Amino acid sequence: MITLNRRGALAALAVAPALLLGAPAFAQGGDVTLTHYFTGEFGLKLFNEQVAKFEADTGHTIKNSPIGHEDFKTDILVRAAGDSLPDVFSYWAGARTQFVVDAGSLHPIDDMWARDGLDSVVAKSVADSATMYNGKRYLVPFNYHYAGMFYNTQVLADAGVSEMPTDWDGFMALCETLKAAGVTPIALGSKYRWPAQFWFDYLLLNTAGPDYRAALMDGSAAYDDAEVKAAMAMWRELADKGYFAPNANADTWTDASDKVARGDAAMTLMGTWITGYWNGLGLEPGKDYDFFPFPSIADGLPGSVVGPVDGLVVSNDGENRAGAEAFLSYMMSSADVQASWTSGYGALSANVNVDPANYNEVMQRVSTVVAGADVFAFNYDLATPPPVAEVGLSMFSRFMDDPSQVDDILAQAAADAAQAFTE
Amino acid sequence: MERENRFWRVILLALPLAVFAAFVIWPLADSFHYSFTNWNGFNPDFDYVGFDNFLKIHSDKLFLNAAINTALWIVAAIVVPTGLGLGLALLIDSRIPGGSVFKSIFYLPICLSAVVVGQIWVWIYQPDWGLLNTVVEAVSGESFNYAWLAKPDSALWSVILAWSWQQTGLSMVIFLAGLTTIPEELLEVCEIEGARALQRIRLVVIPLLTPATVVVIALNVINSLKGFDILYTMTGGGPFNSSDTLAMHMYNESFKKYLMGYGSAISVVLFLIALTIVRLYFRQLRKVDELHG
Repeated sequence: MITLNRRGALAALAVAPALLLGAPAFAQGGDVTLTHYFTGEFGLKLFNEQVAKFEADTGHTIKNSPIGHEDFKTDILVRAAGDSLPDVFSYWAGARTQFVVDAGSLHPIDDMWARDGLDSVVAKSVADSATMYNGKRYLVPFNYHYAGMFYNTQVLADAGVSEMPTDWDGFMALCETLKAAGVTPIALGSKYRWPAQFWFDYLLLNTAGPDYRAALMDGSAAYDDAEVKAAMAMWRELADKGYFAPNANADTWTDASDKVARGDAAMTLMGTWITGYWNGLGLEPGKDYDFFPFPSIADGLPGSVVGPVDGLVVSNDGENRAGAEAFLSYMMSSADVQASWTSGYGALSANVNVDPANYNEVMQRVSTVVAGADVFAFNYDLATPPPVAEVGLSMFSRFMDDPSQVDDILAQAAADAAQAFTE
Repeated sequence: MERENRFWRVILLALPLAVFAAFVIWPLADSFHYSFTNWNGFNPDFDYVGFDNFLKIHSDKLFLNAAINTALWIVAAIVVPTGLGLGLALLIDSRIPGGSVFKSIFYLPICLSAVVVGQIWVWIYQPDWGLLNTVVEAVSGESFNYAWLAKPDSALWSVILAWSWQQTGLSMVIFLAGLTTIPEELLEVCEIEGARALQRIRLVVIPLLTPATVVVIALNVINSLKGFDILYTMTGGGPFNSSDTLAMHMYNESFKKYLMGYGSAISVVLFLIALTIVRLYFRQLRKVDELHG
């Protein structure tokens, strides 16, 4: 029979916390801890397959903790606040990564980049725009996306549309034709706000140009400027004419995509991940759906495309930095991983060794459009600091609820953004 | 022997106390600490800003909006699940056929997680095919696709209704327990004296249920302050902050705008509000104890 005296009880109490604290260290060993947002409709199964290739080829073991896309934004901050960031995590290139770099939470990867010759692997345009922060390299561009007007081919054909618009007048005419045919022209699912940002991005880029937009993003221009008002007026015209499906703020991006897939709406302005989603539903690229670039509006402006870059970064307080760098290098350099990931996920690869023939026919044309663009701009919430992005995202959502309030909405956004830039 | 017992009491309490200290006291103290800083959550370097975060609260329109919404939720928490719980308890206590089955059914929602309840009601409120709009269409015979959770006028009330649906079962069970303490003879005397059913309820039952009512109201108010998870699931405080409560506003400021210092200041204010309510509750409970023994 085991008996416990007072000294034994005290000793047990003293030792227990130490054992608890020590347990994670024993469990971690040589594993590489990884957290990412490639979940659910964002390709969890496919991502896991790529991770398995890394494990098989390198002998490293990944401790994988996927987090839902929306929850990830909070979770990674909670982990940073608790000094428990994983060795590697996925993150969006642009202002969000800049914020984390400024906070000192990321480890620079210049040495790994040079050692593994990534200069000859990563497309220079993407490397220049997405990987460098404060003069150092912090991120590998695991994939990137493009936002375009994705449509249901049958719906447009039934409405007698055979030629896609390239300018604003043509686009308005298309919407009118669809509406006259009894079809809702545009689906937008702005329940989580961010899908609305692409409208703002393209309207502003194509009316005021990328330089003005960059000024708005860094706080040197204001949300109640004439340029922003002009862009919003065009957005309002679309809403006032009833071209958007009702209750945009009640739908998620997948709800809006489903509406287009079902033929309840004709098109949606969305990132290329929609192709992965639709392919997963059994839709055939080029046959069931297709895309056209957002129409140009003002003459003489550089041709801009918008999208996010999904990156992989190494945290500063990770325990297995060598393993983390090996993971980044492998996932970026392996043409096999890049080809199967981007083609399945509905994304573009920044790896120059990936043969475009791997993409389906829609993504091949997307690739051509992106390659021919003068400017690749990060979408709104990756282009401006996170506290300001919150202001803008709420502004878009409020606008979609009641476009007639646009002047009040812009005045409020101007004041709130000015405040957010000072924080 | 007494010394030995005291020793074991301390030892056995040590572990829960350590857990409580680690997961409640320490974070609480940390929140107070960070409320005086401009910490952004990521950066280990931050400055102490004195009472700036608390002063900012005064000019924060979103804080005022969240405070009003929180107050509305508290008032609704006092009225809706308390009233419904009392009504159901009286009905079930009147020995209607199948009363115990109804009791289980009405209690069931409280066994579900708030996230599950929230998702169920998201589907009920869905504008195109949700149950609510389908019923409205069937009754009115006209197309109806109002987006209950996406409109600023209805989002908060829609969430409160869903929360009340879950909370009512708990209120009902507490009232049912309270009803068992009312002597049958007393009600029989009232009946013999000619008191009608409503008079018996108003003049005898409800006054004698005061201890249970205090518990129900206190629990509902405290749970309303904790009603973050269902709100997060259903609206996330949207559309455009219209259904924000103080807890949601604290979350948004801390984790979406990365203003952890300011978010901590909001959490301190929320803590002080909750503390005040709990103190009022205990004071009221003491009075009830004195009155009802």
